[in-house]
Amino acid sequence: MLISCPLCGPRDATEFRYVDERRQRPDPEQASPQQWRDYLYVRANPSGPARELWLHRSGCRQYLFVDRHTLTNEVQTAALARTEGTR
Amino acid sequence: MTSSHRLPPQPGEVIDRAQRFTFRWNGRPYQAYAGDTIASALAASGVRVLSRSLKYHRPRGLLSADFNDPNCMVTADGEPNVRAAHRLVSPGMSVSSQDTWPSLRFDVKAANQLVGRFLGPGFYYKTFMRPQRLWPAYDKVLGRFSHGGYAPTAPDVDRYDQRYAHPDVLVAGGGPAGMAAAVAAADAGARVLLVDEEHHLGGHLRWADAEGLEILRELRAAVQAAGIEVMTDSVVTGRYDGNWVSVLQRSVPGVRERLVKARAKHMIVAPGLIDRPYVVGGNDLPGVMLSTAVRRLVNLYAVKPGERAVVLTANTAGDAVAADLGRAGVDVVRVLDARQDEDVVRIVGRSAVRAVECSDGAVVDCDLVVTAIGWTAPLTLATVSGGRAEFRAEAARFVPVGLPDDVSAVGGIVGDGSTDQLMEHATAVGREAARRASHRAVALAAGVPHARVTAPADTPAVAIPDLRPAAHPMLSLGRTDGIVDFSEDVSAKDLKSAVREGYDSIELAKRYTTATMGPSQGKLEGVNSIAAVAAATGAGLAETGTTTGRPPYVPVSLGALAGRSHQLLRRSPLQGWHDSHGAAPLYAGSWVRPDHYGDPAAEVQAVRDAVGIIDVTPLGKFDLRGPDVPDLLELLYINKWRKLGVGSVRYGVMCAEDGVVLDDGVTGRLGPEHYLMTTTSSGAEATYDWMERWLQTERRQWRVHVTPVTSNYASINVAGPRSRELLARLTDLDLAPDAFRYMQVRTGAVAGIADCVVWRIGFTGELSFEVHVPAGHGLHVWKALLATGSDLGIRPFGIEAQRILRLEKGHLIVGQDTDGLTQAYGAGLDWAVKLDKPDFAGKPELVWQQMRDDYLRLVGLQPVDGAVVPPEASQIVEDGTRIVGRITSSRMSPTLGHAVCLGLLAPHLSSAGTTVTVRLPGGGSIQARVMPELAHVDPEGVRLRG
Amino acid sequence: MATASHQRQRSRRRPGARFSAFGLLRQGLTRADWPRVWRHRDLAGSYDAVIVGGGVHGLATAYYLAKNHGMHNIAVLEKSYLGSGGSGRNTAIIRSNYLTPEGVRFYDRSVRLYEELACDLNFNVMFSQRGHLTLAHNDSSLRTMRWRAEVNSLEGVDSRVIDATEVARLVPQLDMSEHAHHPILGGLYHPPGGIIRHDAVVWGYARAADALGVHLHQGTELTGIDVVDGAVRGVQTNRGTISTPVVVNCTAGWASVIADMAGVGLPITTFPLQAAVTEPVRPFLDTVVVSGSLHVYVSQTARGELVFGAAVDPFPSYSMRGSLQFTESVAGHVLELMPALSQLRMLRQWAGLCDMTPDFSPVMGITPVDGFYVDVGWGTYGFKAAPVAGETMAELIATGKTPDMIAGFDLARFADGRLVGERGAAAVGH
Ligand SMILES: Cc1cc2nc3c(=O)[nH]c(=O)nc-3n(C[C@H](O)[C@H](O)[C@H](O)COP(=O)(O)OP(=O)(O)OC[C@H]3O[C@@H](n4cnc5c(N)ncnc54)[C@H](O)[C@@H]3O)c2cc1C
Ligand SMILES: [Zn+2]
Repeated sequence: MLISCPLCGPRDATEFRYVDERRQRPDPEQASPQQWRDYLYVRANPSGPARELWLHRSGCRQYLFVDRHTLTNEVQTAALARTEGTR
Repeated sequence: MTSSHRLPPQPGEVIDRAQRFTFRWNGRPYQAYAGDTIASALAASGVRVLSRSLKYHRPRGLLSADFNDPNCMVTADGEPNVRAAHRLVSPGMSVSSQDTWPSLRFDVKAANQLVGRFLGPGFYYKTFMRPQRLWPAYDKVLGRFSHGGYAPTAPDVDRYDQRYAHPDVLVAGGGPAGMAAAVAAADAGARVLLVDEEHHLGGHLRWADAEGLEILRELRAAVQAAGIEVMTDSVVTGRYDGNWVSVLQRSVPGVRERLVKARAKHMIVAPGLIDRPYVVGGNDLPGVMLSTAVRRLVNLYAVKPGERAVVLTANTAGDAVAADLGRAGVDVVRVLDARQDEDVVRIVGRSAVRAVECSDGAVVDCDLVVTAIGWTAPLTLATVSGGRAEFRAEAARFVPVGLPDDVSAVGGIVGDGSTDQLMEHATAVGREAARRASHRAVALAAGVPHARVTAPADTPAVAIPDLRPAAHPMLSLGRTDGIVDFSEDVSAKDLKSAVREGYDSIELAKRYTTATMGPSQGKLEGVNSIAAVAAATGAGLAETGTTTGRPPYVPVSLGALAGRSHQLLRRSPLQGWHDSHGAAPLYAGSWVRPDHYGDPAAEVQAVRDAVGIIDVTPLGKFDLRGPDVPDLLELLYINKWRKLGVGSVRYGVMCAEDGVVLDDGVTGRLGPEHYLMTTTSSGAEATYDWMERWLQTERRQWRVHVTPVTSNYASINVAGPRSRELLARLTDLDLAPDAFRYMQVRTGAVAGIADCVVWRIGFTGELSFEVHVPAGHGLHVWKALLATGSDLGIRPFGIEAQRILRLEKGHLIVGQDTDGLTQAYGAGLDWAVKLDKPDFAGKPELVWQQMRDDYLRLVGLQPVDGAVVPPEASQIVEDGTRIVGRITSSRMSPTLGHAVCLGLLAPHLSSAGTTVTVRLPGGGSIQARVMPELAHVDPEGVRLRG
Repeated sequence: MATASHQRQRSRRRPGARFSAFGLLRQGLTRADWPRVWRHRDLAGSYDAVIVGGGVHGLATAYYLAKNHGMHNIAVLEKSYLGSGGSGRNTAIIRSNYLTPEGVRFYDRSVRLYEELACDLNFNVMFSQRGHLTLAHNDSSLRTMRWRAEVNSLEGVDSRVIDATEVARLVPQLDMSEHAHHPILGGLYHPPGGIIRHDAVVWGYARAADALGVHLHQGTELTGIDVVDGAVRGVQTNRGTISTPVVVNCTAGWASVIADMAGVGLPITTFPLQAAVTEPVRPFLDTVVVSGSLHVYVSQTARGELVFGAAVDPFPSYSMRGSLQFTESVAGHVLELMPALSQLRMLRQWAGLCDMTPDFSPVMGITPVDGFYVDVGWGTYGFKAAPVAGETMAELIATGKTPDMIAGFDLARFADGRLVGERGAAAVGH
């Protein structure tokens, strides 16, 4: 599997670390236990297109928002988390 | 033995008659020529039986005479499961048959044949159940049914290797089509890697007529002229996501096997076709061979395969083999033409072929039966690439369809034609492959996803001429039942009865009978298995479908897969000194560290009474800079950081978002916007990722720059009441108690080395200074400390002494005194958690934990009988067996002369003064008392503040 | 007693159906066919319960519902063939030396059921209790092993910490040199652990469930669940709709997809887990050997193949294609343990899908949707749990009461913050 890092170019997936699904951290002051623990534990785990967070660990060390198909492992896009417009 | 069956020189032979030598087969000497395989040399000496079958131990001889031949697994020079029909024989080689006792010719387990009718497929699922107590004995007996050679017991002296390759086009298979495709791709400018399993390029052209041999010569010359990298005796074993292709390369000088990992921009699959065995009674007798086997023997090795032959043919290969046999002086007594509805009904013989029963009723005596009844396309590489196998009934074979953009196929697996037609097709595919590869290179460089690789308009796709499989009668199962899977000893009858029992899909029947699960992985027996299942279900081959092909395409040695071991062991710059001063090595994560220098108790004593130094280089270290570092620290740690002044350090604890303790360490403020953070050594990587994650996702506006500096510094902790005195001799920094207080940091020169970071902390519970020295000078400072402190009673101390010291002081170790569920309050960190901070990682969970009272807590414990040290992980129990906690750390305290512990304990028992029962692993139990503090020595902290 | 009468029924209905040495003999002599192991059925319009997933968990649940609770009008839906999921792809390690008391009790019950399973199902599942050995390469793993051994012995499970000498005696092929990067300091030895023929377990349960009247539908894919007013009413499949008040999700790697159809979120991520076998060699390894630090385990099957496994892949996926990297690292690690094996050849690699949970423990029981049950989160270790999971799930479904043994594995524990502490023991052990 290849991921095209916006900074480093196409690299083998072994250079990256899968971190988590891309998700919104609830406001820690407002979140109910249910909401917070959904955030901690419950995952969409889609069979198909997925929106994920990866780290180019053995490369530029940038966190990337990766859109990937979990049946084919085909990566559609990879964007720098740091500069991605709105979340 | 002499080579009595060797023919005069043949036009395409690959043996070198000038080099003759002997080797041993089951202890006896045999002759061979250079270029012979083990099997060809044995065949040349008239040896016909090479192995015994798995279940019934029936004698077996050459079948396909290539790598896939299931009947010639031997042990060669101690290496088990060597393919005798592929491995070249070498002078003095010692070869023996496998799993035969007492000998290949007389094998006791052949008695299984007599009871065969009771040993149908899966018979073991139906018996040995009662009495239950006898099952373990049966279990052992069943293990004897396993096949194969003996696993070596001595370390392998051979070397294995790996390398990378970046071909534009990788061609798997070096027959005429593969060669033509490779040449075309190379001519179109692509960098090409051409791989073939055999020892020579050429595929079936190697046993062609004079005209064919001439084409082969031209092709070989073209391959060489095109500058193509060629690997023979090598196999493409798999294709993985992103066209990551593995190639097993053999015949590399000095290396037994090499794994080549190729990132191919395009792959062309060109494995040719496999001659399909005919399933008919007696088809596994020695002397029954495939047409390609005979053509190899005669043309490549100049071996006469028999004296009297019957040929069953359904195609031109069968016709050609009859001609070869005639030339070789074999008496072809009967040619049965399946196209004329002639057939073999049964093959007769006991330990070898004796006669053939023909469809017209004739019984023909012979010692060789050759079949050419149809082709199987080896589709594994195509299907692991995402293609599908589609059955073409009129051609009686499966073909690959639906290949991804970056994989194509040429040659026999695509279709039939004259050599010219095959090469014309392959040439076009090769050119198109080069074109796609170059576009892919462009797309990759531009970061365009693979799915959207499209050709720009200026280079139109190459037109690929039509190539389709020719009509061929469907032959597979004959009129009597024979063997389908030779390595697993599975017959057509077995498969049919499995289906009738209800295992009525190809996957279930395969699993139940084990057909196609042996070493050739279905390449020879796959289609016949499908045919047998189809025959029993009444469905067609197309509906029955194939099983899933799985890599590797051929078995790969563990040695090649592992490559040369690269052990990444991290060493501090002081480790050499430790090694040469008697340190016992401790492997901790990726680091090797000194456990102790012979006497840990004395090392502890030195620290408590005088001074000791320990190498703490593996501590994770990060240089943090920027105006928002305090915000980051506030967020990562559960305690407060905003008020930390320049020149001060603080101990901090990090929790994950679930409130579970993650890591701890000391962080100091070196300048207004400059901090040095330390973490545990095993937690360094994760902490680095964790910090960056916050900074790059949730807190992108913060200006913080994180640089890992773990290896930039050698870190030395100088601990003990005389540590100040010692350090003062080596630095100009003012170490006076009021000038350099507990939990402060200074930068300056130590032992003449500038830019050392020195902070005053107390993990050991003693007055201590941790000195972070620029790594290159670590050893100098270490030696200077030892030399300067010799009159102060200095000793180096190791991890074990440090563990004792910190335990006496009640300092926890994350991951030892906490576990995967221990949240901050459970770790006794109540003092550190600051819930009045607006936000920090894990805060909500700690807010809720603080309101609960149902979690284990970390406490100090001392056994009532101070002489007994309960081993770490001893369980604390109530009412005999109910677990209410455990000892997480324990040591005999040299300082107190009394055992000291930390433990996690249920809340109702965790108040000071409670006595609890600790169950000892060896048996028995002891009482232990809960202490008021975690610290056993100096709970007030007088010593470290001194 | 229920068992005996059902077995009588079975033998009356299907003469010659019982497997035994005598049966083999008779069949060998008469050459008569064995009766079918299970039958093809038409899809009924309604069932008392629909179990989704024809793996070992679905089949065991169906079997115990019929056998222990007299529920016969039930269907198992399997989109492919029986055992096509993790149940036909696992490395078949059975053990009970877990870390938490609730875990140990649960898996111990399963081992005991496995010990009797061949007789119970009249199908030899070839449970080979050859012993299970986890290697310790450093102090901290020795400590965790001592912890496990202590908890195990308190729960009556045979598992003990042994020293390097004893390890060497059990597995002479191991490299015991002190200067190895991963020196072997000792191990956790668990004699009742071992391996089993996974397919046989699947087929045995299927055959026995079929004999009790359960409908097994292969090639039948669940495509939707009808939930009305918070309760299950029926399901849709590629072969038609079924009305039912009970749907049991036994789909392991696909658990989230099925739960999504009922609108239930799960704490699950699907990761591929890979395994590989070598070509067969003569038997030499009669213990299951596991190294947590090296993320690898090895056993030798009755067929002589060495079976290798490792930890799950580094990223989630529903693809079962497998990677080269897995074979490289597993080979490297095996050779670190047993350097003499470098000439053995890897024959086949494959992957299955694992439904990983945050606390390495299953998710079993009720959900916020009435009649929608889950028996998922089996991760890399669920094969060994099938008998006890089937037994307890059946009890829950039939009686409406959650058995104590699985109370701690409920879905609500995540919302309540009551995770199970199995992380330390389940990571690579399977
Ligand atoms: C390589 C590997 C090694 C392992 N090793 C071990 C081990 O040594 N010991 C151990 O205890 N465990 C092991 N496991 C884990 C174990 O295999 C699983 O936990 C267990 O098999 C799960 O069984 P199951 O019946 O729940 O799921 P599965 O066997 O996966 O069955 C789920 C079934 O659901 C079907 N399905 C999915 N979606 C639908 C739908 N929409 N409609 C109908 N049917 C559907 C699937 O086709 C599948 O057959 C291993 C797993 C793998 C992959
Ligand atoms: Zn990058």
